[in-house]
Amino acid sequence: MSNRIRKSMAVALVLVMVFAVGGLSACKSETETSSGSTGGTLAYYVGEPAYIDPYNTQESEGTQVEQSVFDSLTSFDPLDPATLVPAAAESWEANADATVWTFRLNKDGKFSDGTPVTASDFVYAWNRIASTQTMNTSTNQVEASSIAYHLAVIAGTDEFGNADAGISGLKAVDDYTLEVTLKNSFGDFGYLVGHPALAPVPKALVEGGVKYTDADGKEQTAAYGDMPVGNGPFKLSEPWKRNQYIKVVQNENYYGEKPLIDGIDFLSFKDPNTAFTEFEAGTLDFTQIGEGRIKDAEAKYGVSTNGYTANPGEQVLLGAENSIYYLVVNNTIKPMDQAAMRSAVSLAINRQAICDNVFEGTREPADNVVPPGIAGYAAGVWADAKYDVEGAKAALTEAGFPGGEGAPEIALSYNADGGHQKIMEYVKADLEAIGLTVKLNPTPDFATYLKELDADKIMIGRLGWSADYPIMDNFMFPLFKSGSTDNYSRYADSAVDAAMQAARANPDDAARLAAWQEVNKTVGAGLPVIPVMFYKHHHVASERVHDLTYSAMNLADFTKVWLDPK
Amino acid sequence: MFRYILKRFAQFIPVFIGVTLLLFFITTILPGDPVALRAGEKKLSPAVYAEMRHAFGLDKPWYVQYVNYLGDLTQGDLGTSIASGRKVEVIFKETYPYTLKLALAAITLEILVGIGAGLISAIKQYTFWDTLVTLSTSILVALPVFWLGIMLQYVFGIQLHILPISGASSARFSDFAHLVLPAITLASVSTAYAARIMRSQLLEVQSQDYVRTAYAKGLSPTRVLWGHEMKNALIPVVTFVGLDLGAMLSGAILTETIFNWPGVGFTIYKAIGQRDFPVVFGGVTIVLFAVLFVNLLVDVSYAFLDPRIRFGDASEG
Repeated sequence: MSNRIRKSMAVALVLVMVFAVGGLSACKSETETSSGSTGGTLAYYVGEPAYIDPYNTQESEGTQVEQSVFDSLTSFDPLDPATLVPAAAESWEANADATVWTFRLNKDGKFSDGTPVTASDFVYAWNRIASTQTMNTSTNQVEASSIAYHLAVIAGTDEFGNADAGISGLKAVDDYTLEVTLKNSFGDFGYLVGHPALAPVPKALVEGGVKYTDADGKEQTAAYGDMPVGNGPFKLSEPWKRNQYIKVVQNENYYGEKPLIDGIDFLSFKDPNTAFTEFEAGTLDFTQIGEGRIKDAEAKYGVSTNGYTANPGEQVLLGAENSIYYLVVNNTIKPMDQAAMRSAVSLAINRQAICDNVFEGTREPADNVVPPGIAGYAAGVWADAKYDVEGAKAALTEAGFPGGEGAPEIALSYNADGGHQKIMEYVKADLEAIGLTVKLNPTPDFATYLKELDADKIMIGRLGWSADYPIMDNFMFPLFKSGSTDNYSRYADSAVDAAMQAARANPDDAARLAAWQEVNKTVGAGLPVIPVMFYKHHHVASERVHDLTYSAMNLADFTKVWLDPK
Repeated sequence: MFRYILKRFAQFIPVFIGVTLLLFFITTILPGDPVALRAGEKKLSPAVYAEMRHAFGLDKPWYVQYVNYLGDLTQGDLGTSIASGRKVEVIFKETYPYTLKLALAAITLEILVGIGAGLISAIKQYTFWDTLVTLSTSILVALPVFWLGIMLQYVFGIQLHILPISGASSARFSDFAHLVLPAITLASVSTAYAARIMRSQLLEVQSQDYVRTAYAKGLSPTRVLWGHEMKNALIPVVTFVGLDLGAMLSGAILTETIFNWPGVGFTIYKAIGQRDFPVVFGGVTIVLFAVLFVNLLVDVSYAFLDPRIRFGDASEG
């Protein structure tokens, strides 16, 4: 008995000792304060990025940070992404059939360490993305980029955009002229190169590491992947502190218009609801609005008039994003192989009810796959992408199942870890209302879901698609080109394939847009997928933030924003 | 003593192999492909895909992967995260100190407040203080942890502005201040249990014969309490607290999520979703070692505290 008491006391003693040690190590010198406060520092919410080195930035979080530090050749106007604006390239032109593109770099362009940006820095950067043998500098291990697909249109890459021997279609004609030869005509290539991941990188720093001075005044070297140096308006002031923050400050060598703020603290959160609580306490300047708090926030902070720009009293952003949520229908599985059946399902869905009841109005019903923020969007272009119960019943009869009689059971699949259950329950109820028998078929997580989707085991599922580049092409070509890896509906129409190639090849901007609109109309007539909702912003800025534009591409423009002194 | 420590380490080996073997086996039946998941909905080129699977050893049968894992482990290599390409030991070197800090803060609270409240409650049985402890612990046990966390954030962070809402450090608050709300939240339910166990145990031993004997010997109530009652009553409490510390050392997903605390719980949780097996195995390995280490420390210090105890001979236990 007495042994056990000793043991109990020993536990307590050990705990106290260990805690004392932990407590000591927890003490540290005062956190440094930001230098000079004329412009202030914007505290900005992000989820933890996967990568911030442009060679592998893939999700919106990493891209957001990365694009504050880098400029690609072109950029998209934050308020009108369909308009291309010069960035690292001051001008560009294509040859007559849009197969060879020449970009003239801004000669003032510099990396934040002061070295000039030249065409060969682009060649080096893009080859890093294309090579399967690229070193991830953060880990010092070979790690192929997951985003080589951006480069698949360039001559000398394979269909996935990979090229281990260097991309033959890339040429630095001189220091300030980059020439890109494409496999096929591609009139929208100027948009593609606006993607933040296609920014230039300085070879010397990628391979040699980035020198910086730490808080104790000591010289340190960080891996490029942890402290990337770019040619954008800001630069990292210290290496990425994983799971906590990434801090950037003004790049004094920036060639473009200097930002008005001193810097940005990208604060990493696991849960956007926690971030919103921080926002309410006044410690964050920009974040997502917490679940169930949209209406409340609208009343309290005021809604932005254009949906994208935040100013005091107009702080809630609700503008449409260039993304779509759709039901992916496997066009090879009965009964969904019938267009009439797909129409019946589409017409039966009350999209507005889902948007209002599940998302507090932060999504809007989709009437085709191309979002309103993309040039070429035309309302109602997919005739059956709307709510019409009578029409649904008629389509069901046309498909040979009047009142649902004799129709096979419809399986609605989704990953249970992504908040799709509620949406699918609404869809199920809507389909049952026209007489169909429906079962929900959740998979435990996205990993499993993707595997089943790939193996053609899913009759009707769900997917989202966000624009990499703000062009119609980016919604049509990947989703509906026969054999495309993203074409999970298995839609295949050789006439549409040919029409898409022709549209791409058209060097005339207006004619190309018209051609894409025609393609969209043709695809929509067969309803290979069922558009459900367009995403909308559900973000809010603090009262001291002026002129912060958060674009339909989900990228903030940090160059115009200014802050009231705290 | 040395032999005892060696024996304890030897006992650890079957536990470790059992747990990791089971885990490896589970990965074979879990659907989902970590390499495909890396690329999200966009597909990788088959060449890159195959190369990645090869690089992570995923093209080999699970038992070969297991042997490789053990082999790497003997060299101190926990492998490489499939989702981020980072070394697993680097990932945990960044996160584990935070888990340790939070666990120790929470367990200290649990010991001080839990045992203290239980003690007061038992000594002052049927008084206002007893009712207060009994009632508040009942409420605390019933409160969902996430709700308590959010309420604490609201009151101390938003209304009073005296404590940080989330994170582990900031310019405005000390690191210690950052620890307060997550530690209270993490400790809440267990503290209530510890208090209740303490109270009931103490009340129980009060009616034991040896306590009556102690009083009969003429000992003061204080000496009876500390010399006789507490020693016996503490045992179940300490067992409970010890188990709880083990659980806390493996991370606290809810608390870490609500308070944006950069610990291992969320890291492992996220890794499971991404099928990032090296991180999951690495996490389990580290947690196993941590728990072993704490147990061993406790047992060893126990020998130092009681000179009569010499491990390895028959008097153990």
